[in-house]
Amino acid sequence: MITIPRYLDRSANPVVRLVGLGNAGVNLADRITMSGLNVDVVAMNSDQQSLSSSVAPVRVALGPLATRGLGAGGDPEIGADAARESQAEIEEALAGADIVFLAAGLGGGTASGAAAAVADAARGAGALLIAMVTSPFAFEGRRRAAQAAAGLADIVARADAVIHFDNDRMADLTAPRAGVSETFAACDELLGSCVQAFSRLMAAPGPMSVGLPDLISVLRGGDAECLFGTAEARGDNRAHEALEVALRSPLLDRGRLLDQAGALLIHVSGPPSFSFAEADAVLNGISKHINEETLVHLGVSTVDDPSAPVSLTLIGKCGATARVEPVQRPAARKTAPVEVRPVEPVPAAQPPEPEHQEEFASPEPAPPPRPAVVDRPPPPERPSRVAPDAGKPKPTPPKVRQETLQFEPVARGRFEKSEPTIVEGEDLDVPTFLRRNKKH
Amino acid sequence: MAREDIHVGLEVGTTKVCAVVAECRDDGDVRILGVGEAPSRGVRKGEIVDFENASKCVHEALSDAEDKSDVEIKSVWLAVTGSHIQSFNNRGSVAIAEDSGEITEQEIQEVEYKAKEISLPKENAILHSIIQHYYVDGQEGVLNPMGMLGTRLEADFHIIHGVMTRIQNTIRCVREFHIEVEDVVVNALASAQVVLDPHQKEAGAVVVDIGGGVTDFIVYLDGSVRHSGVLAVGGDHITNDISIGLRIPITRAEKLKIEEGSAVLGQALPGEKIILKNDTGFSGKEVEREMLNTIIHARLEELFTLLRKRIVDQVPEHLLGAGVMLTGGCSMIRGIREIAESVFEMPVTLTRAQAVSGPTSAFENPQFSTCIGLTKYAQAVRSEMPEESFFGRILRKAGRKFRLPF
Repeated sequence: MITIPRYLDRSANPVVRLVGLGNAGVNLADRITMSGLNVDVVAMNSDQQSLSSSVAPVRVALGPLATRGLGAGGDPEIGADAARESQAEIEEALAGADIVFLAAGLGGGTASGAAAAVADAARGAGALLIAMVTSPFAFEGRRRAAQAAAGLADIVARADAVIHFDNDRMADLTAPRAGVSETFAACDELLGSCVQAFSRLMAAPGPMSVGLPDLISVLRGGDAECLFGTAEARGDNRAHEALEVALRSPLLDRGRLLDQAGALLIHVSGPPSFSFAEADAVLNGISKHINEETLVHLGVSTVDDPSAPVSLTLIGKCGATARVEPVQRPAARKTAPVEVRPVEPVPAAQPPEPEHQEEFASPEPAPPPRPAVVDRPPPPERPSRVAPDAGKPKPTPPKVRQETLQFEPVARGRFEKSEPTIVEGEDLDVPTFLRRNKKH
Repeated sequence: MAREDIHVGLEVGTTKVCAVVAECRDDGDVRILGVGEAPSRGVRKGEIVDFENASKCVHEALSDAEDKSDVEIKSVWLAVTGSHIQSFNNRGSVAIAEDSGEITEQEIQEVEYKAKEISLPKENAILHSIIQHYYVDGQEGVLNPMGMLGTRLEADFHIIHGVMTRIQNTIRCVREFHIEVEDVVVNALASAQVVLDPHQKEAGAVVVDIGGGVTDFIVYLDGSVRHSGVLAVGGDHITNDISIGLRIPITRAEKLKIEEGSAVLGQALPGEKIILKNDTGFSGKEVEREMLNTIIHARLEELFTLLRKRIVDQVPEHLLGAGVMLTGGCSMIRGIREIAESVFEMPVTLTRAQAVSGPTSAFENPQFSTCIGLTKYAQAVRSEMPEESFFGRILRKAGRKFRLPF
């Protein structure tokens, strides 16, 4: 019997668990919970107040004795003590996970101090660890920056992949005059879309697929900043639009940062109508920005749903090309694989639309607190921004829509063959009285 | 004795090609010597779609003008329009050399160059860059900074740009007959030269030139251009609407629009009919007058609403003291002033070329505003008149920058 880790087994549906550590992490965890993404969400904090208002289904209070629920007060030492005290709870929360996303805002006490313990627990559970961290704003001071750097080093030493964003750059996400909460919300949203993009990437089969190995090789090691941009677009000009929006991500600085990427993962997916020419246009648009040294991992896939948007995800890391040797894993890790299960009715090669199949078969509610169910379809391919829909079975009609044929119902008379004058979406060559239906 | 120059303004319009030959004296006097006209073919929405036909019409109009004015035309000033023409305001700034601190011609040129350093689509070229005002060390509203002292010179420019190849098509039409094109000028800017007087430019005014295929507009405030643009809707659209709405041929629709059309609603008697006589290929028809007026009204109201939105976006309406000047062939439709006033909520005046002399029939017709404006523009650019020279100098520079690559 071949033994491979579950997270590399496409036929199995890996248990993805997102751990929000510290205040920022809990905020993100809440956001992910509400966005209805198909992951288990765990909130961990030493601050009981933040935990009590969290909507995450699993909440772990760190160091109730060490901190008395009052938080680490910005001291990583206390954070580390708290994690040590609650080690059993942490391990319990992570047991059975195949992939762990560790989301934390570095610089404070809890995240910087407890990250190492959580990372160890995740590895102990045999999971692949992808850390998603932000470094503090420059105005938060040197002390915080130093704590963040130490915390980041702890994580880099343990995680399989590190996604590191700089908060200063995140502030550019919103207009200068945007409200504070709006800016933070935008930051969280970006991180959330990152998780979504990852799960989409891992789920999508295709002619040129990218998967976890590519992702890991792009993100492995180093504390350099990550490049990330994602977009979805529909309509006639979808390829171009997706490219534009993805490059507009502040984490790419309008594509300029792509030039610094050591390694870059590009994933394009679309409905069956997504043409080769469109894919070519998108990829050409990106290739203008990258330098010759960049190692590009390219994935193109299609989903069976004709109404799906074209989605584009760019993930990269600044600096030199990532090292090839894998991160040393604990010995236990290698011998704790899961056997390949007998082939199931849902063949591995065709995971598209498992979402619907599953939901049709068992219209069970999809509540966020989910026990570690082993048989779970891959996460949704489209980010469903459905607000907290806990307890409601998702209405999922098969997304087959009749394409409406555009035809010109109204006469343009002598302007039939000339370039149309489109102003604010109206063709001004068509008589006004017809457009306004003004029959007196 | 004042020097006399002869300038020719040529407009290749959607309905007609016209050429105005005028004698311009450098004291500002413009006397029209002759006007040549030819019905236009091969032009849609102000742009050439059939090169061969269009150049025939240009030839006809120029020969007509030569005959009437008894002048041999060697070069023309050409009006251009089309929906591709766009504009925006941009500010340039330069630091003034420490040692002298005096603003010289060099700094003034540099600041204009800086203001033009903008990213245009690569097929576009700048047609005009018109100075609005200068700032010297943040002091606002400097009109001529030459010789002033300061450390920093800034300038606001109004920049009009369009698609190079489309403009070249019009130019080539003229060059076919070995006639030079002195410069190209956007329609609205030319019209404004004769429609507005300096007081109106100062007080704030809008010129709306509704032609056959397009409507050009330009907004003046504090003596300089604040906004301009082109909307590809004109008199042809009204004709087309009538033709579709009343199911009559285009030629009849055009005639009906000119003879009977009005933009005012509720003036026709209930059930009042207009009888169209039969003609070759047309068996005659009765149309309801109110229906005709409704069609015209709807189109014009929409046109003015769109224009108003564009203008108010850039310049608040309460600053436009002199109101709206309507010109162009389509401004002859009955009731257009009433409907424009109700939409713009400003005084609206029907104007035509002013301050020119010559055959009355020419300058009294709003169709010739642009063409006559071209000659006035040419004169402003060429003359050394003190009150015009500043504007003229800027315009001339703008013209020189726009080299015609042949």
